[in-house]
Amino acid sequence: MKRKKKNQGITALKSRYGRMFTLPWLIGMIIFFIIPLFEAVRFSFSEVTIVPGGIEKKFIGFANYKEILFSNPDYTDIVSSAITAFLYQLPIILLLSMVLAILLNQKFLGRTFFRALYFLPVIIASGPVLSLLFFSSSSDLSNLGASESISTSLISVDEIVADLGISGGAASYITTMISRIFDLIWNCGIQIVLFLAGLQSIPSTLYEASRVEGATKWEEFWFITFPMLSEVTVLVGVFTMVQLITNDRSRIITLLYNNINSAVYDTTSAMAWFYFLVSGGIMAFILFCYSYFAGKRWKA
Amino acid sequence: MEKSKLLKQGYRLRKIIYAIFRLLVLCAIGYIILYPLLHSLSVSFQSRDSLFASTRIWVPTDLDIKNNYTAAWKSLDYGEAFLYTCIYQLAAAVIQIVTCAIAAYGFARFEFKGKKLMMLLLFVSIIVPDMIVLIPRVVTYSQLDFLGILGLFKKLSGVDLRPNIINTGWTYWLPALFGVGLRSGILIYIYIQFFKGLPKELEEAAWVDGAGPIRTFLQIAVPSSRVVILTVSVFSVIWHWNDWLLCGIYLKNCFPLAIKVRDMLYYIGQAYGIGPDIHTPQTAAYMMAGCVLFVVPVLIIYIIIQRWFIESIDRVGITG
Repeated sequence: MKRKKKNQGITALKSRYGRMFTLPWLIGMIIFFIIPLFEAVRFSFSEVTIVPGGIEKKFIGFANYKEILFSNPDYTDIVSSAITAFLYQLPIILLLSMVLAILLNQKFLGRTFFRALYFLPVIIASGPVLSLLFFSSSSDLSNLGASESISTSLISVDEIVADLGISGGAASYITTMISRIFDLIWNCGIQIVLFLAGLQSIPSTLYEASRVEGATKWEEFWFITFPMLSEVTVLVGVFTMVQLITNDRSRIITLLYNNINSAVYDTTSAMAWFYFLVSGGIMAFILFCYSYFAGKRWKA
Repeated sequence: MEKSKLLKQGYRLRKIIYAIFRLLVLCAIGYIILYPLLHSLSVSFQSRDSLFASTRIWVPTDLDIKNNYTAAWKSLDYGEAFLYTCIYQLAAAVIQIVTCAIAAYGFARFEFKGKKLMMLLLFVSIIVPDMIVLIPRVVTYSQLDFLGILGLFKKLSGVDLRPNIINTGWTYWLPALFGVGLRSGILIYIYIQFFKGLPKELEEAAWVDGAGPIRTFLQIAVPSSRVVILTVSVFSVIWHWNDWLLCGIYLKNCFPLAIKVRDMLYYIGQAYGIGPDIHTPQTAAYMMAGCVLFVVPVLIIYIIIQRWFIESIDRVGITG
């Protein structure tokens, strides 16, 4: 009886300590995240005017959303291109970074060099430099002002495709695809790091056992590496999705940034919320599908 | 006997072919990573004449390093911008390394009511793009108020005490102090994963010996988490160093490096009276020099710590 009481005392104490450690974060979260989040909803439903000493809000219903979706010529275009980019880049980035991580996990001469090289995007890609680098390595300088996406054309690619005798639509398709590879590979930095960490946490005894049983490399990959990486894959997937949605080189983020800086708060809130709802919805759908199918598969 | 020898040879041949194939793939993709960097370095070294020449060469013979780099340095106002980067962004990064650890320790070690809800909140904060909360934040920062207390005071007495922290370092330091700064959700998540993997026994022994939770945290948990602190520091510092979005929104005239590099064309135009946003081969050389100047500090840090960083990544257990 006495002992039980003491135990309860410890749990109560521990839960108090837990709250003590997390309280500052919770307060910060409320002030800097939850309140602004709902405030943004209110902004998106009101007409916000700037008056001396603050702002004034007037409720106007869905008018902001109507404006951005039906009257604004650019917004829907930009959102749909952002979403398509998101959808095709996600699987490519996942696959590419997984393959590269597997290659970098093997033992060979110069591995340290290659690892250091492949981690370089981690420190550079999130900064402003990358778009400038792409910008400068793009084709002739007169073309620069016209190209809207950052890495539309690269010197050598244009020339090579022209030399091969391909022209017109096909040529432009090939050049854009090739130049997008730059963007894709530069987006793989942290993913490779995470996959590599995941690969190293797979116990080597599994591989030893499978080698004794005579499994081929191919079987090893499908029956050990791939399933053991499933948790990491979810993590990397979530991270990649967040990274793609909030990529500050994308046109949508640039648009929002410019609008905030010109103090257009109401329609920008609507734009940000609509974009987040669409992209977040797709994210949730992907995660749901994954957990549904993966759950089924591993149970069977 | 013959057959097994042949088989062995075939196996070795396959291995060699695979090794060559692997090297080719790694080199090809490595080239894609290096290409823009080398290109910018090459351009930043070239003189005006060789930039305007119709033939392009990788290793420039006609060097003009001094001119390009002094121009970039001057138009970026590098010294001052670097100082702003340090006192605004890097200070926030350092604060964040500490505060996120504290919050994560609470999550990882203790059970309490509402923890699940708070973890959900953490996950949501990782997913929601900063852009949404930035808009109201700009408005609140121009009249900072904690939970409406000062606003109420204004209503009652008519005196507006709400400070305007836009264009000051507090826009960075304040969220960082609460552990909700730039991408802090991910940092807390990394910490939690690591703390969960730490053996509890040591801390329990400290408990038994009468150490309080703060002492246990400082003297037991922190010293054994050097690995994770390194990882989190690298991410926190690099993300802050690279971030231009928040500076562009929070700050109005004292700009850190990142935003200056982003709008470098404008600053070059301003410094040399070319007119804003005019792109010539010469400005391209200045711009590339600026990029090199921007990347070099983080690159040096990276080269110094990369050996430990790569090792620590495996040991942190981010991957659960």
